[in-house]
Amino acid sequence: MNFELSQDHKVLRDSVRDFVEKEIKPLAIKIDEEHRIPEELIAKMSEMGFMGSYIPEEYEGAGLDMLSYAIVVEEVSKACGSSGVLISAHTSLACDPIYRFGTEEQKKQFLPDLATGRKIGCILLTEPDVGSDVSGMSTMYKREGDEIVINGGKTFITNGGCLGTGILFATHDKSLKHKGISAFIVDLKSPGVTILKNEVKMGIRGSYTTAFAFDDLRIPAANLLGSEGQGFKIAMETLNGGRIGIASQALGIAGGAFDRALAYSKERKQFGAPICDLQAIQFKLADMYSRIEMAKLITYKAAWMKDNKMNFAMESAMCKMCASETATYVTKEAVQIHGGYGYIADYEVERMYRDAKITEIYEGTNEVQRVVISKMLLA
Amino acid sequence: MKILVCIKQVPDMESRFKPNGSGVWFEETDLAFRMNEYDEYAVEQAVRLKEQLGDAHEVTVLSIGPDRVVEAIKKALAMGCDRGVHVQDPAASLKDPWQIAAIIAAYARDKGFDLIFTGMQSQDRGSAQVGVTVAEDLGLPCTTTLVGFAYDNGTITAKRELEGGVKGVVRVKTPALVTCQLGLNVPRYPTLPNIMKAKKKEIEAIPVGDLLREEARTATASFHPPAKKGGGIVLEGEVGALVDQLVGILKDKTAVLR
Repeated sequence: MNFELSQDHKVLRDSVRDFVEKEIKPLAIKIDEEHRIPEELIAKMSEMGFMGSYIPEEYEGAGLDMLSYAIVVEEVSKACGSSGVLISAHTSLACDPIYRFGTEEQKKQFLPDLATGRKIGCILLTEPDVGSDVSGMSTMYKREGDEIVINGGKTFITNGGCLGTGILFATHDKSLKHKGISAFIVDLKSPGVTILKNEVKMGIRGSYTTAFAFDDLRIPAANLLGSEGQGFKIAMETLNGGRIGIASQALGIAGGAFDRALAYSKERKQFGAPICDLQAIQFKLADMYSRIEMAKLITYKAAWMKDNKMNFAMESAMCKMCASETATYVTKEAVQIHGGYGYIADYEVERMYRDAKITEIYEGTNEVQRVVISKMLLA
Repeated sequence: MKILVCIKQVPDMESRFKPNGSGVWFEETDLAFRMNEYDEYAVEQAVRLKEQLGDAHEVTVLSIGPDRVVEAIKKALAMGCDRGVHVQDPAASLKDPWQIAAIIAAYARDKGFDLIFTGMQSQDRGSAQVGVTVAEDLGLPCTTTLVGFAYDNGTITAKRELEGGVKGVVRVKTPALVTCQLGLNVPRYPTLPNIMKAKKKEIEAIPVGDLLREEARTATASFHPPAKKGGGIVLEGEVGALVDQLVGILKDKTAVLR
């Protein structure tokens, strides 16, 4: 058994860390305030290869592994949770299903643009009335010759506002429930696609969360991903891998908040000494760090299991649940350690506190994760 | 053209250093290591030169030390060096600059390198002797503390940093050795695709015993943190008297008013 990162993973982590420190950290406050990630930063992250970390080199990805991807999302999220989820949703929810379920032609057609960041990917699954229960979806598709025509709407689409490549789920017969659902690869710049709004949110404010309407959106029938009726399976398996991305994002947000809280506790003096001399603060730091390390172990394990082609469904649910709850706990305590300053935007931990909450909700609420875990325990 | 870059892995300078058991070096356990800053400028410049000259030209990166220094070599490969050489030495920190230079010179002697890049000094030991001693051992011309570099047809034009912000320009024909200073360039980040490519590049491992024939010429007597400074002086009293006192102190104890 070996709990140490390989030398290659350490080189990767240090390189990503240097990049994040110089290129992302100085922009994090602005990204939150302006509700957008600058195009130039997306271009720089793309140049670094962050958009295609584990996509094979033949499709212009970096060809690294899942653990490398987890490390990238974690390190980026230490400075900026919005940038972290940009990478995570793009990679896990758009690149991954095309890579796993796409035909060779589809991979060649769509992956190079995605893996190099020329297009940003997203998944279009959630609808206003369809969250955890995917089988009730009402966005409809029908075949017309060589085309698929889609009508309906999607909401809460992470990265949607980038108008890149989307994996869209729709049904051809609502009465078939999950068996009627298929997945399609769509270009969101097509006619028939309308942005209804980009949501204003509590946290990860730099990340687009978009509501779309589809009015006779026509796509080539060749853009069907997998086979007809396979959509539900594609969605579930995609979310499985996505949970490792969200766990990594949560881990990063927690790590970023912890680093700040630790540093602040050494600088801030009250009663004639740094507040880290107080046991009340010391116990907080010990709890925070321990929970981060525990969440990291299960997250890296889930990534390692995916890399080793093992069944990681339970571990991905556990790491998402564990890391997200670590993130909300650690960021809350980081604000507390900062006292009044923690409530002020310049100190950044208040943003991390806001950013952390969504990790307990999206890509399967933590209640759904508990259902997944307990079902597997009782199967 | 054959280019050699010599790099060292050093502790992150934000680490907390403690003397080790023997009291002549720092305790390495629990420290995070990275490539010596000045060596990053050397790697960057070597890779830029290769990009200027074309793919037929080869950059070799060499580091001496325990297994962990392979991380620094891999980083250099991901930045664009072509092949790595790891001189395996678990006790490199006990060797003096004379021996380290002798190891590099022994490796490089019959390889026909046209240009050798090193950092101007290491961030941990900071002797600034290794580069120049390698040049001496190999009988190469050498110019140091580069903040500018240009190469054309066998001639290097090097801008050097001198005291007080003064710069000097040196022209030297290859084969030669140069040492690199802060300000020479901005090292690139290794990208993910290049980290992947670096995995396929060769790293040759050579036991230090195959290269080292020299005894140490210097020995470190002790390694210790600076003595704790006493508290500052607090002056009290009337403003006029305070000013006189302060001017007196500045005159007597500092160079400010001389």
